[in-house]
Amino acid sequence: MTSPETLAFMELAIHQARLALDALEVPVGCVIVEDGKVIATGRNRTTETRNATRHAEMEAIDVLLGQWQKNGLSMAEVAEKFLNCSLYVTCEPCIMCASALSILGIKEVFYGCSNDKFGGCGSILSLHSSNTTPVNNEVSSGKSFKCTGGIMASEAVLLFRTFYEQGNPNAPKPHRSLARQA
Amino acid sequence: MTNNCLIVHIPDQQPYDLHHQPTESVFASAINPKHANQIVRRLNQIVPLDDLRHVKRIQKNVLEGGEIQLLVILCVASEGNNQLDSMPPHLQELISSYQLSPFITKVCKYVATSKEEWQEQCKFWPTSYHPRTYNIDGITGFSEEDSQSVLKFMQSAVELAKSNDLVVNAAVIVDPSTKEIISSACDQIYAWNSCKDDSCYGKPESFSSHLNISSTCDPHEPLHSNSSSNWLKQPYTGVACLYIRRWAEHPSHPHSSYFWHPLRHAATVAIESSAARDRNLFPSEGTNEASYQELDSENASWTSSPAKRQKTVCGNDVDDDKLNACTQPSGQPSARPYLCTGYDIYLVWEPCAMCAMALVHQRIRRIFYAFPNPNAGALGSVHRLQGQKSLNHHYAVFRVLLPEEALHKSHV
Repeated sequence: MTSPETLAFMELAIHQARLALDALEVPVGCVIVEDGKVIATGRNRTTETRNATRHAEMEAIDVLLGQWQKNGLSMAEVAEKFLNCSLYVTCEPCIMCASALSILGIKEVFYGCSNDKFGGCGSILSLHSSNTTPVNNEVSSGKSFKCTGGIMASEAVLLFRTFYEQGNPNAPKPHRSLARQA
Repeated sequence: MTNNCLIVHIPDQQPYDLHHQPTESVFASAINPKHANQIVRRLNQIVPLDDLRHVKRIQKNVLEGGEIQLLVILCVASEGNNQLDSMPPHLQELISSYQLSPFITKVCKYVATSKEEWQEQCKFWPTSYHPRTYNIDGITGFSEEDSQSVLKFMQSAVELAKSNDLVVNAAVIVDPSTKEIISSACDQIYAWNSCKDDSCYGKPESFSSHLNISSTCDPHEPLHSNSSSNWLKQPYTGVACLYIRRWAEHPSHPHSSYFWHPLRHAATVAIESSAARDRNLFPSEGTNEASYQELDSENASWTSSPAKRQKTVCGNDVDDDKLNACTQPSGQPSARPYLCTGYDIYLVWEPCAMCAMALVHQRIRRIFYAFPNPNAGALGSVHRLQGQKSLNHHYAVFRVLLPEEALHKSHV
């Protein structure tokens, strides 16, 4: 059974996704939580930045890294901090984000709907349980993290549906939905 | 001399040993050529070969004396059960009505990925082979001119990688249609903007002015000096994609004045620079101007501000022709690139999964790398993203085998 706390944090992630939708961005949002407190939020900004890697997770991570460095934390201290952070995101992290999260060494990830095309936490690749890396040296492979999906998935899917019905304004011409002109 | 075999295509799938391709057992039978049409039509109804679509249903042989023999695949022989009575009833009826005598044979289980594989497959049973439907320049080979160009861009990446005290990974994004460098970057894990050449908006010839690898050898350059071989034998712990968790063990220096970022691998920094270039060259185009204006306001996120500052500085260097192009009436909106569509990226080391997926998202057309990454490489070494069918974009991947002299031709 999903705890009320988990649902409350996912609700905040959904709110971030709604902000993305309002800005005509693919509606994905997230929050990062440390000791029961939200310490960073993020939402997709790929259209605005024309950088398709500016996913919600990357936005939230950058907020944190900026804040922590401003507070004078060293790299080792930041690494220690991530070990105690959980991410709540409306859609399963893609291969890029899942890999980034394992590079940072996040403790745990909760996500809404799964990502059948790009998912890096079980759907396409399983970067959260990276036992595939050759036994080498600790610094050459990412850290595993616990991953739980399906939290408020229908809400997350509904946002995607709303977005694709209004047409993706960032899609290249041949793929653009004609729904908006109708 | 430069030649084509220096650039090796890394295929979408791990290739099978040509002579040991996986096979599947099937029931087959000789049939009377007169009944071929009826039998095949009926077979396709009752036992379609769903998982063996590449296998031809019928095989035609010319026997001694010119007699034509037709063999047809009846159905897949289920594992461990080669009994005829395990066949579906409709098939059994068909066998008895045409008086067929089924036997077991082998067919190749997977679609051939090359002409050579296909030729081997047909020794078992004929299959069909369709060369890839999308064609990306280079998969079928490079012209002498293109090879030269690839090698030059790769060497400019190698020089960037060596431009600091610590060897790092470097990335150069190129528009191959104009041979223009769109952006370039080094790993920026430990210090931002450590790379002097970062976001150099190169002119078409910019790379050739300081690069000269071809076949000319500097007679003053000791080709087999210790220093050059050492470069190759270093552990390269500074290369972000090779040691993705090394940052966490980095000795602390809390009062350092520069920023650091564990995810600023060369490829992602180069993507960021190319996006900044796009916003700079085509500031108001697009369907939602409102959000671009928002970007220009002061509440832009922390991460985008350094890039923005950089963008503003570099804006002065930007080719005026380019700027005019987008405001001229003749300038089609299509002149603005969609992300990195059509662009190539040169990386010294094979990228990790984060970088390789970032390049999928940004729609890079071709990836060239010089050295494989056995620790975390995602383009053949540990993962093989170019073969993940579910992704919405696929690039072609090549390894560039640099001539020895190209590696230590750096005298900056």
